[in-house]
Amino acid sequence: MRILKAALLGAVFAVSAAGSAMADGKTIGVSWSNFQEERWKTDEAAMKKAIEAAGNKYISADAQSSASKQLTDVESLISQGADALIILAQDAGAIGPAVEKASAEGIPVVGYDRLIENPEAFYITFDNKEVGRMQARAVFAAKPEGNYAFIKGSSADPNADFLFSGQMEVLKEALDSGKVKNVGEAYTDGWKPENAQKNMEQILTANDNKVDAVVASNDGTAGGVVAALSAQGLDGSVPVSGQDGDHAALNRVALGTQTVSVWKDARELGKNAAVVASVLADGTAMADVPGAVKWSGGPGGIEMNAIFLAPVPITQDKLDLVIDAGWVAKDVVCQGVAAGSVAACN
Amino acid sequence: MTDSTEPQTTQATDRARASELSVVARFIRATELDTRMLGMIGALLLIWILFDIFSGGLFLTPRNLWNLSVQTASVAVMATGMVLVIVTRNIDLSVGSILGFVGMIMAVTQAEILPGLIGFDNPFTWIIALIVGIAVGAAIGGLHGYIIAYLGVPAFIVTLGGLLVWRGAAWWVTSGRTVAPMDSTFRLMGGGPAGSIGEIASWIVGLIVCVALVAMIFNSRRQRKRFQFPLRPVWAEVFLGTLGCVLVLGAVLIANIYYWPIGIIRKQIKAGLLEGVETEIFIGHGVAIPVLVAICVAIVMTFLATRTRFGRYVFALGGNPEATDLAGINTRWVTMKIFIIMGILCAIAAAISTARLNAATNAQGTLDELLTIAAAVIGGTSLAGGVGTIAGAMIGALVMQSLQSGMVLMGLDTPLQNIVVGIVLVIAVWLDSLYRRAQH
Amino acid sequence: MNTNTATQSLVDMRDVSISFGGIHAVDHASVDLFPGEVVALLGHNGAGKSTLIKILSGAYQRDGGEIHIDGQPATINNPRDAKGYGIETIYQTLALADNVDTAANLYLGRELLTPWGTLDDVAMEAKAREVMGRLNPRFQRFKEPVKALSGGQRQSVAIARAILFNARILIMDEPTAALGPEETAQVSELILQLKSEGIGIFLISHDIADVFDLADRVAVMKNGQVVGYAKTEDVDKDEVLGMIILGKCPPGAIPGPGALSS
Repeated sequence: MRILKAALLGAVFAVSAAGSAMADGKTIGVSWSNFQEERWKTDEAAMKKAIEAAGNKYISADAQSSASKQLTDVESLISQGADALIILAQDAGAIGPAVEKASAEGIPVVGYDRLIENPEAFYITFDNKEVGRMQARAVFAAKPEGNYAFIKGSSADPNADFLFSGQMEVLKEALDSGKVKNVGEAYTDGWKPENAQKNMEQILTANDNKVDAVVASNDGTAGGVVAALSAQGLDGSVPVSGQDGDHAALNRVALGTQTVSVWKDARELGKNAAVVASVLADGTAMADVPGAVKWSGGPGGIEMNAIFLAPVPITQDKLDLVIDAGWVAKDVVCQGVAAGSVAACN
Repeated sequence: MTDSTEPQTTQATDRARASELSVVARFIRATELDTRMLGMIGALLLIWILFDIFSGGLFLTPRNLWNLSVQTASVAVMATGMVLVIVTRNIDLSVGSILGFVGMIMAVTQAEILPGLIGFDNPFTWIIALIVGIAVGAAIGGLHGYIIAYLGVPAFIVTLGGLLVWRGAAWWVTSGRTVAPMDSTFRLMGGGPAGSIGEIASWIVGLIVCVALVAMIFNSRRQRKRFQFPLRPVWAEVFLGTLGCVLVLGAVLIANIYYWPIGIIRKQIKAGLLEGVETEIFIGHGVAIPVLVAICVAIVMTFLATRTRFGRYVFALGGNPEATDLAGINTRWVTMKIFIIMGILCAIAAAISTARLNAATNAQGTLDELLTIAAAVIGGTSLAGGVGTIAGAMIGALVMQSLQSGMVLMGLDTPLQNIVVGIVLVIAVWLDSLYRRAQH
Repeated sequence: MNTNTATQSLVDMRDVSISFGGIHAVDHASVDLFPGEVVALLGHNGAGKSTLIKILSGAYQRDGGEIHIDGQPATINNPRDAKGYGIETIYQTLALADNVDTAANLYLGRELLTPWGTLDDVAMEAKAREVMGRLNPRFQRFKEPVKALSGGQRQSVAIARAILFNARILIMDEPTAALGPEETAQVSELILQLKSEGIGIFLISHDIADVFDLADRVAVMKNGQVVGYAKTEDVDKDEVLGMIILGKCPPGAIPGPGALSS
C-alpha cells in the first residue's frame, strides 16, 4: 500500500507539473501490441483521459500482434509528430530498432508493462515479484504453519516462475524452520482452471486431504483449486491466493472461499504512463521523472529508469477498494453473501 | 459393445483346426470376446498397477478411482462423437473451442440472463441453460456439417476455422471475463458429494444394468436360434454374463466405499442436515452424475453406431464413400448429422466441465480437441476411416486421464507428463497397427 | 434402332450427352432395352459406355437428352431415384463398403428393421445366407468384412445385392472381369435365368468374347458416340470388332451418329 501511495503522490505531482506545460499541447504517440485483449482497452481509456487532461494530444496505432507492423507503427507515430512515445511491445527483442530510431530523433520512449531493455527507454509496470510476495504473505497470515500446496502458472510463461520465486521468498524462512511444509506443487498447463482443479484433486488425494493452505498464482487457477477443495468440504477453511481481481474471484473473497486476489489496476498503470510520457515530452530527463528509480533487474542487466506500481492485495476487508474504484459492481461481488458477514457488502 | 465392423476373431471358417488351438484361443473363440478390447483393458490395468506401486498405494484407492471417473467424463463424452467423425474419414479440431463457447453461453444464461427473468436459483434454471447449450452446440455442429458435406470444404479446414472462430466467440460473450458461480442444480452435473447419486441409487442402477446385460445375452441367443445360426456354448454365455455383472457391481461398490470427506460431514452437522458424531458417519458417494451422464451417452452412441441405419451408413461411408453414395444413401446428410451429434456432445461435455469447475472461463476446453482425438485413436479408431468403437474411445479417454492423474500423484510435473502422454499415444497406435496387420 | 415395337420399351435413353471439363464423354447417345432382353454395350476403354450407364444408374447427371422408363419420362438425379425405378447396378469397382460384412453390404441403404426401428441384423444375415447359398454355395464367411473376401466372393456379393431387390433393369459393368472360368460360367447362367424372368439387362464390356453369346443385341460406342446397333443374329464377331475398332458399320447393323461416314 505504501508503495502505491508513493506512486499516486508522484502522479499527482506529475499531473500538476504537466499542467504548467499545458500551453505547449504536446503529442503523445502510443503503440499497442494488440487490442484483441479487453485489458488494453481499459488501459487506453485511462491513458487517453490523463493525456488529454494534461492538455496534450493522444494518437495511437494497433500492431495487431505483429512485431513487424509495430515497427512501421512507431515510424508513423514519429512522422505524425509525436513528442513522446508509449510502447506496449509485442516482442521485447524486436522492438529495439524502433526505440533507437525514436531516440535518434530525440523522442523519449516509455516501455509500457512489458520490458523494453534499452537505456534510452523508461519502464513502467506492476511489480510481478511483489504479486507473488503478496499472495504468499496473505496466505501465510491466515495460516502461519502447516502443509502448503503450490498451484503454479503455465510452465511456458516466465511470469509463472517470477511469481513462484516471490512466493518462496516470503515463505523461505518458515519452510526452512519446518513450520511450513511444501506437500505438492504443480504447473498449470496453459493457466487453465480445469487443469488446476485436476492437479489440486491429485494433491489432496496424495496427502489424504492434509493440505492447510494453497498458494495459487492467479484467480483462474484459484477457481479450480476452490472447486477441488469444495468437493472435499474444505472450501472456506483452507486459505487460497490469487491475482487479477477477476469478478468471480472477488465474489469468492467475499464468500470467504478465497483469501486474497492481488489486484493490478490497469487504469492506474495507464494514467501513470500518460503522466510520465507528458513529463518526458516536456523535456524532463528520465532520471528526474518523479518517482523514478534506477533498476537493472532485466535479463540483460542494463540499468534503466523505472517506476514500479505496487499491486493491491484485495482481502475480504478491502473489497470496498475495488467497489469504490468502479472496477466491479457491488452486487456482483456480494452475490450470495450472507447479510452482515462482509463489511463491504453492507 | 463391439460393432460389426471390428475384425472378429476368425470364426467358423475352419472348424477342423479348432482342436489344434490353445486353450486361450479356444476360450476367446467360444466367447467371441474382442481381443483388441481385451488388450486395451489389460494395458489400462497395467498402467493402474504401475501407478499404484509408484505412488505408494494411492492410485488404486476408491477415492482416486472415483476422481478419475469424474475427471474423464467430459473428454469421454466428446470422444464418443469423435469416433463417428474419424470413422467417416473426417476430423474435428473445433471440439475444445465449441466446449468453451457453449460453456460460456450456458454460464451466461444461468448466471446473468435467467436470474433476471425467473429469479435466482429457480428449479428450472439448469434445464433451460442445458437446453440452450445443446441447441447452440447442435447449431454449430450443423453449420460445420453443412459446410463440410454440402459445400465440400474439407473437415480439417472447416474445424480448424471453427477452432479459432469459437474460441474467439467465447471471448466475445463476456469479453474474456470468467462467469461464476453456476446454478446450484446445474452444478450437480459436475459431481462432488452432492452431485453423486448415493449408495442405494447406485446399487439400483448397477442391478438394472446387470439385468439388461443378461436380457441382452438371452435375446441375442433367442434371435440366433430363430434362424438356426451357430450359438455360443452355454458356459461361454454364463461366463460373459457373470463377468459383466461382476464388473458393473464392482464399480458400484468402489464408488460406494468412497465416503464423504469429513469436512463435508462436519458442515452438514453444523447446518443441521446430519446428526451424530462426525467420525462415525459414513456416507458413500455412489456413482457421480457426470459419470452416469457419460455412461448413458456411451450407451446411446453405441446403440446409434451399431443398431441403427444411421450407424450402419456411418461405417459404410468410412469404408467406401463412393460405394455408399452409389447405394443410394444420402451421404451428405449423414455427414451433417454426425457433426450435429458432435456439437450436441460438446454441449454435454461443456455442461459437465462448467458445472464441475463451478465457473465458465475463456480458456475452458483449450487443447481438449487433441485429448479427444487421442482418446478415440488410442481406443482403436483408425484415421484411415471405417473402423472404431465407442467403448474403445471411452477406454482410450480413461487411459489418457489415468496417465495424467497418476503422474500428478507421483509428483511429476507438466512438461514430463506431456512427454509421457505423447509417447504413449504413438506407441498405442503403433501396437494397434501391428495388431491389425497380424489379423490379416 | 430396335424394330421390335410390339412391346413397350423398358428403358429408352434418347440423345443423352454429358461432358467433363469440355470433353464430350457421351455425345448424343441413344440406347434402349426391352423386358427379357440382354443388350451388350461395347467399346474400348474410354469409349463412354460406363459413363452412359452411370447416367442411367444416377451416379452422374446428364447435360442433355431424355430418359424414358416404361415409356414415361423419368427423373434420375441420384442413385436413390434410379433404384426407385428398379434399376440395379453392378459396378466394375463392385462398390462395396469394404469394412462391413456381407449382409450389411447386401442391404446397404435398404436395411431390414425390427418393429422398434433398429437394424434386424439376424434377419438380414439369414436372408444373406439364403441368397449367397444360391449364388455361391461354399461361401461361409458371413461375419467378416468383405475386404477379407476373395475377388470372386466379392463379385458374388455385388451380384447378390443387385438381384436381392427384384430389379427390373440390371446393369452389369464388366461383370466377369475378376472371375475365373468356372465363376464366369456361373454368372452366364445367372444372366440367362434373370432374362427368363423378364428382367432387362445391360452388359458392358470391352471384350466381345465375354458377352456376344449372351446378348440379344449389341450397341457399340466409340469416342462418346454410338457407332451402331445390331442384333447379334445379324452380325458376326468380326463385324462387331470392326465397329469397335474402326467405327465401321456392317450391313447388318443400323448406323448411329458415330458411324464412319463412308
